[in-house]
Amino acid sequence: MNSIAPPTPWYFQPTTILIAGCIVAIINFGIRSTFGLFTLPFSEAFHWPRETYSFALALQNLVWGVATPVAGMLADRFGSARVLMAGAAIYALGVLGMNYSTTGAMLDLTAGIMVGIGIALSSFSIVMAALGRLVPPEKRSWAFGIATASGSMGQALFIWPVGQTISVYGWNTGLTALAIAALFIIPLAAPLLIQNTSKSVQAQGETALPMLQAITQAFSHPSYLLLVAGFFVCGFQLAFITVHFPPYLAEHGIPKEITWIAMLSIGLFNVVGSYVSGMIGRREDKRLPLAAIYFLRAAVYTVFILVPISTTSTLLFAAAIGFLWLSTIPLTMGLVTVMFGTRYMATLYGFVFLSHQIGSFLGVELAGIMHDKYGSYDPVWWMSVGLGLFAGLINLPIRERRAMAFATP
Amino acid sequence: MNGPGHKFALAFFGGVIVAWLALMFVLVRKAALPPEANGIMLAVFDPSISEAAAVTAIAAAGGNVVKQSGLAFAWVVQSDEQGLAGRMRAKGAIGVYRELPISPALMGCLAVVDAKVDNVLTQ
Repeated sequence: MNSIAPPTPWYFQPTTILIAGCIVAIINFGIRSTFGLFTLPFSEAFHWPRETYSFALALQNLVWGVATPVAGMLADRFGSARVLMAGAAIYALGVLGMNYSTTGAMLDLTAGIMVGIGIALSSFSIVMAALGRLVPPEKRSWAFGIATASGSMGQALFIWPVGQTISVYGWNTGLTALAIAALFIIPLAAPLLIQNTSKSVQAQGETALPMLQAITQAFSHPSYLLLVAGFFVCGFQLAFITVHFPPYLAEHGIPKEITWIAMLSIGLFNVVGSYVSGMIGRREDKRLPLAAIYFLRAAVYTVFILVPISTTSTLLFAAAIGFLWLSTIPLTMGLVTVMFGTRYMATLYGFVFLSHQIGSFLGVELAGIMHDKYGSYDPVWWMSVGLGLFAGLINLPIRERRAMAFATP
Repeated sequence: MNGPGHKFALAFFGGVIVAWLALMFVLVRKAALPPEANGIMLAVFDPSISEAAAVTAIAAAGGNVVKQSGLAFAWVVQSDEQGLAGRMRAKGAIGVYRELPISPALMGCLAVVDAKVDNVLTQ
């Protein structure tokens, strides 16, 4: 007797999964991009020095980095949907808790630790791990590209309505609205539950190694270590721009309005760059475009600091660096998949991302220290150029093939 | 997984931008000030106005320029005297809004559309 398989319900259709995953990425990245707007309201409401709020955000970035590999392990073990749902709940509670944080320690707990864990558990890397398993290999890089582009779009778009909400309704309402937005991730993650149903057949050719052994093997694989080292540079360069570019422009007499437009341009060109990078990553060769991104960043930084700073040079720099901003992610994620398959993708990308966050932390801190010491950001710009060249070079020897220990007979 | 490609990406991002614009217009409408309001506010004039004419109108309304938005038709103005919003409208502003923390130039572009639509609907 022939049996006909029941049709897949609409919420488990690939297009639904992709749309839901991309909206999760928009929300996750969008919320975190708005925290800078709350610096002044918090500092004024509680008469805190700026350092109190800044420290909570620095802690958040660090916790986010450390929690990402753990989130990846949980996602690889229990499925991305459950991790995203739990992450959304923690994210929402953390953001809501900020409303009740009347001391620095409470803010460290809510904005720092809870939000950091929430971001990691509901992040787009967890979404991408799910997409990596659900889409066929020929569409994988494209899916990584569109998910990364969505996260970039969230960064660019959330800041405006949240700024207006704070202006019209006050910062407490702004935080409550963000907490509600985080909760939307829960239903949006539901379509990814397909990974945990009988439909989620483990693809052929995936490693049979247990998780801890897989992690150990990955860290003994030279190409993975090169990728991890390269991504450290990515974090360093981007965090330096995010935090120190506005004051750098102010020091050079660029009006605040142009700075806002430059930051918006970075966000919008980032959407295009991430998507194009996903398209490029469909080709067999991913390491060369990845190396090219780092070399191009070094070139863009060099030109920007050598030419006199003007509105034109600022906006051109913003467009160029925006295009190269998160375009490393689809290619990096793609290389992790090529080397190790999709079974432990979230975990192994998580460790790569931890390196990114350490780079971010150092990029922000070192730039501040150097500026205090030399009264100029120039040494850090040149350091970023040097690191870009270094990252480009170390990506070249990466071997784009399945690691021996992950090869299946 | 077949189907999704560039068209899907375009439709998705287009949809997100449309939803975002809708949300922004709702929030801009909520930021519109009543005539009795004073303090810091964003005054929006017809886009055809010259910079000099806008400054003259602000001064005539008893307001002070806090900052230029970069656009001749959108200005951040201030006065502690009650009723600045109403006076700004009387002197030619087509809309007056709470000061919006992010880029008054970009907010001015949204606000001018909102003000024009509001003026058409209320006439």
